[in-house]
Amino acid sequence: MHETRSHSIFEFDILLFFSVLLLTIVGILFIYSSGVTSTGIVFSSEYVRQIIWAGIGLLLMLTVAFTDYRVYRDVAVYLFVAMLLLLVITLLFGRVVNGARRWLGLWQFGIQPSEFAKLAFILVVAKYLDYVANGIRKLPTFVLGMLLVIPPTLLIAVQPDLGTAAVFFPLYIVMAFVAGAKASHVGFFILSGVCVLLFTLLPTYEQFVLERHSPLISVLSESGPVTILLASLVLVVLLAIIGRVVTKRRWFTAIAYGVSIPALGVAASVFVRGFLRPYHQLMRLVVFLDPSIDPRGAGWNTIQSVTAVGSGGVWGKGFLQGTQSHFQYLPQQSTDFIFSIIAEEWGFIGAFGIFILFFLILLRAVLILGYAKDAFGAYVAAGVAGMIFTHFVVNIGMAMGILPITGLPLFFLSYGGSTLWTGMIGVGLLLSVYNRKYR
Amino acid sequence: MSNSHSYSKRASSGAQYSGQRSRGLVFGAVVTLFFLGYLGHLFSLQVIEGQFHATRALSLSRRGATLAAPRGEIFDRHADKPIAGNRTSFTIQLNPARVPNGQHAELFSDLAELLDVPVAQLNDRVPPSSYHIHQEIDVLTWAKMEKVTHLAEHIHEFPGVSWITTPVRTYPESETMAHLLGHVGRITSRELQVLYNEGYHSSSILGKSGIEQQYDQQLQGIDGRRIGIFDAHGRSVTERETEIVPPEPGDNLVLTVDRHIQQLAAEALGERLGSVVVLKPNTGEILAMVSYPSFDPNTLYGRQSNSALAQLQTDDRAPFLNRAVQSSYPPASTFKILLTAAALEEDLIGPDDIIYAHPVYRIGNRVVREWRPNGFGSLNITQALANSSNVFFATLGNEYIGTDLLLSYATEFGFGALTGIDLPGERAGVVPSREWKQNEFNTAWVQGDTVNISIGQGFLDVTPLQLANMVALLVNDGRLYRPHLLKEVRDGVDGTVLGRVEPEVIAEVGLSQDTLALVRGAMREVVRSGTASSVITTPSVAIAGKTGTAEVDAASENWHSWFVAYGPYDTDNPDEQVVVAVMVEAENKWEWWAPRAANVIFHGIFSDMSYEESRLDLQQRRLLW
Repeated sequence: MHETRSHSIFEFDILLFFSVLLLTIVGILFIYSSGVTSTGIVFSSEYVRQIIWAGIGLLLMLTVAFTDYRVYRDVAVYLFVAMLLLLVITLLFGRVVNGARRWLGLWQFGIQPSEFAKLAFILVVAKYLDYVANGIRKLPTFVLGMLLVIPPTLLIAVQPDLGTAAVFFPLYIVMAFVAGAKASHVGFFILSGVCVLLFTLLPTYEQFVLERHSPLISVLSESGPVTILLASLVLVVLLAIIGRVVTKRRWFTAIAYGVSIPALGVAASVFVRGFLRPYHQLMRLVVFLDPSIDPRGAGWNTIQSVTAVGSGGVWGKGFLQGTQSHFQYLPQQSTDFIFSIIAEEWGFIGAFGIFILFFLILLRAVLILGYAKDAFGAYVAAGVAGMIFTHFVVNIGMAMGILPITGLPLFFLSYGGSTLWTGMIGVGLLLSVYNRKYR
Repeated sequence: MSNSHSYSKRASSGAQYSGQRSRGLVFGAVVTLFFLGYLGHLFSLQVIEGQFHATRALSLSRRGATLAAPRGEIFDRHADKPIAGNRTSFTIQLNPARVPNGQHAELFSDLAELLDVPVAQLNDRVPPSSYHIHQEIDVLTWAKMEKVTHLAEHIHEFPGVSWITTPVRTYPESETMAHLLGHVGRITSRELQVLYNEGYHSSSILGKSGIEQQYDQQLQGIDGRRIGIFDAHGRSVTERETEIVPPEPGDNLVLTVDRHIQQLAAEALGERLGSVVVLKPNTGEILAMVSYPSFDPNTLYGRQSNSALAQLQTDDRAPFLNRAVQSSYPPASTFKILLTAAALEEDLIGPDDIIYAHPVYRIGNRVVREWRPNGFGSLNITQALANSSNVFFATLGNEYIGTDLLLSYATEFGFGALTGIDLPGERAGVVPSREWKQNEFNTAWVQGDTVNISIGQGFLDVTPLQLANMVALLVNDGRLYRPHLLKEVRDGVDGTVLGRVEPEVIAEVGLSQDTLALVRGAMREVVRSGTASSVITTPSVAIAGKTGTAEVDAASENWHSWFVAYGPYDTDNPDEQVVVAVMVEAENKWEWWAPRAANVIFHGIFSDMSYEESRLDLQQRRLLW
C-alpha cells in the first residue's frame, strides 16, 4: 500500500505548488508594472526574462521534486565545497554590478552564486545535523556546526552583499533548533546576534539620528573605553566560571551566561563596524530609524517605499496606476521593493493576499518537516522554510520601513533568475520530502 | 494505513528522530507571530495611516515649478533696438543617484569631454559623498546651444543628466552703457530679506546697479507657476492635469538716452578717467552719460562672473563708480558763471563796470594769482569770464557779492543737493556754509574761504551732472528740470505705452532776461575770443561755455579739466539745444582734454556724425588742433 501511494506522481503538495505558482505570476505582473514609466512606455523587458526564468525554474522545481532528496545527502559536502569555490571564483573574476562583485557570468548569462550557496548550506547543515543526531544538544556540537556559517558569510560579505551574508546565521539557528538544539544554546546565540546588531549600530545611531553625544553609547565607539568595557565583561565571565567550578553553585552559570552575551556582542560589534565602515553601510543600516535625517540620500528609499505602501490604502491605486512606482520615486522596484509596488497598486487587500500565500508556503513547509520520513528530510524542510521566512521578514520589513535597507530580494516575486531558481529548487526539495513521506 | 496520517503516528514510527515535530510547531508559532505582527503593521500603514501616506505621495509628485517672467527690455530714445535684452542659456544638471553605481567616474569623463570642461570641475560639483543623493545638481551653467544639442543626441549614454533653460541678460552696447544701465545678478540672501515682501524669491535675478536697479520692479514682471505632477526625474508626467499661471513679462523701458550720442561721448572721452553728461535743458532728458573706466555688464552674470566681479572690485580706478553722478570735484573756473549771474542779477555790478585785476589778490594768508603772470588789468565782467580772471572773480565774490549771497545762489542753482536723477547712489556734493565749516573743522569762516569759492575751489564740491544743470538752468530762463533717464514705460508684450515721464521743474531761479542774455553772451565770448577759443572749433554749431582747471593739490603738475557748454548759443527752437559737461580727472596726462572732447561731441551731435567721422571732418577742415 505504501508502495502504490509513493509511486503516484500526483502525490504532491498541490497547495504548496500553486501558492508558489501564483506568487510567481503576481511577481511577473508587477515586474512588468515596474518597467512602465509615468508616460506609459514599457522601458524594461525584465518581465520577459522573468517569464523565461520562471519556466526553467518550474522545470527545475519539478525535477528536484521527483528526485529522491536523499541523493543530496550523499553529495551535500561536495556541493557545499563546490559552492564555496564558486564564491571564491566570483570574488576573483566576478562581474562588478552596482559596486559589488556578485555575478559570475558567461557572455550575456550570469548567476549569483550567493543565492545558490544558501541551498548548498541547507543541505550540508542538514547532513551535519543528521550525522550528529542527538549530539546537537551538546554545546560543542552546536558550536562546531556553527562554524559552517562562517565561510559563506565571509565570502559573501566581502562582495559586498551584507543582506545575503547575514542569512546563513539565522538558517543555522532555525535548522539546529528544529534538530533539537537546547533552547538555552539557541537563545544565547540569538541574543548575542541581537547584541552584535545593537552595539554595531548604536554609535552610528548616536552620530546621525540622535545627533548628540551620549556617554553611554560613546563607550562603544572609542577604542579606550571599549577595551576597558570588554575586559571587564570578560573578567566577570571568567570569575563566574571559576566561581561555578569552585563552589558548584548554579547561579554562577547564570551570571556567566548572562554576561557573555553582551561580551560577545561588544567584541563582535567592534569587528563588524571596522569591516563595514569603508562601505558606507552603517548609515544605510541606521537611517530607517529616522529617514528624515537624510531624506534625499540614505533615507530616500525608506521614505519612498513606506509612502508607496501606505498610499496604497485598502484597495490600492490599481494595476499600473501607482504613482510612487511609475513616477520612479520608488527605487529598485522590480527587485528589493517589489512588495512596495504591489502594496501600492493592490492595496491592503493585495498585500494581505501575498501574506496569505507566503503563510501557506511556510505552513506547508512546517507540516512537511513534520511529515518527513527521515531526519535529513525534516532538516532540509526546516532550512528551506527558514530561508523563505528570513527573506520574507527582512524584505517586507524593509519595504514597510521597520528594518534597515539590506537589499534582500523576496522569493518568487522579486526579479532575478538566481533568486527565483533558488526559491523554486528549495520548494522542489520540500515537495521531494513530501513526496517520499511514506517511503 | 489510512489516508488520514496524523502527526502522532509519524512521530511514533520514526525511530531516527526525536522532536523535530514539536520544534517545527514552535517554529511555526514563531512564523505565525511574525506574520500577525507584520500584518498589524501593514494594516496600520495602509488602512489607518493610508490617507496620510496618500497625501504625502501626492505632495511628493505635485510640484510647483516657477515660470520665470522674462525681464523687460530696455531701449534708447529711438526705441528701435534693445540696449538691454534677453537670450536663453542652458544649465546642465546631474542627478547623481540616477547614475548606476560605480559608473560615476566613466560618466564624468565622458561628460567632461562632451561639454569641454575639466573633469575636476564635475568632481568638484558632484563629490563622491553626494553619489546617493536624488537631486539635480548644476554641473555647468551657461552651456552653449550646440553642446546641449549634442548632449540631447547622446542622452541615453548619460543617465541622470538633464538640462534646464535660463534667461540671460545681454547688453549689446557693453561698456558704453554700463554705468547707466547697470547690471543684474542673483539675489543675495541679504537682499532677499529686504525684498521678500515685494514678491522676490531666492532665485530672483535682481538689478544691481543703474537703471536695472532703479526700475527693477517694472522690469521684473511677475513670475508664473506651473503646478503639475512630476516624476522623480523632474519630468512633467501629464500635461492635462497641469495648472498654469502664466508669467507676466516685465515692462519695457524706453530711455531718454541716444545711443549714438552715448557712443560719441564715450569715444570722445576715450581712455581717460572722467565723465561726460549730455542733456536737453528744456526737458531734463539725459542724452548721454559716460563714465570711464567702465565694465562689461555681460561678464558680470555668466560663467566667469565671479572672477570678473573680483577683478573689477579690486581695480583701484573704481570702474563701478559712475563718475557723472557719484563723484564730486571742485568746479574751478566753471563756477564763475554762477558768480556772473549772481552779481548781474543783484545789480552789484553793471555790464560795463570795470574792476582792475592785479596779477595777485591777497586776503589774509590766501593768495590768488592769475593764470597769466602779468595779469589782465581792467576788465568788464564779460571780458573777465572770457579770460577766466581769478583776481576779478575773487574780488567780485568777496567784495561785491559776499559770502551769504554767494552760497545762497549756489544752493538755489542746485549745488549741494541731489538732482533727483533716476539712478541709484547719486552724490549731493558740498556747498559749505559758516555752520558747516564750524562743524567740520571747528574753525570760523574767513574771507579766504569766500575767495576760494569765488574761483570754484576750496570746500565746494560738485558732480558733473550738477554742473550741467547749472548751464541748463541758464539756458532755460532760470527753470531747472529734473534730469532723468526714463522716457517711457511700455508693455512687455504688445509695446503699448503705459506711461510717459513728463518734464518736472525742480528749481526756479528768478533771473531777468537781461542777466540771462549777459551771462550767455559772456559764455559765448569764452568760446569766441576767450580761453576756449583755440580748442572749440566746430563750425556746425555756435557754442557758449566755460572751461575749468581745478587744482588738486599745490604740488601736482596735473589738474582736473572741466568744460561745460551749451549749443546752439542762440536759437528759436529750444528743443534743439543741448548741454554738454565734460570732466577729465587730474590722474590723466594733462591734455586739456575736456574742451577738446566737448568740441568733437558738439560737432558730432550737430553734424550727425560719429566720433571718427567728426574727427576726420574737423581734421579735413584743419580745425582739429
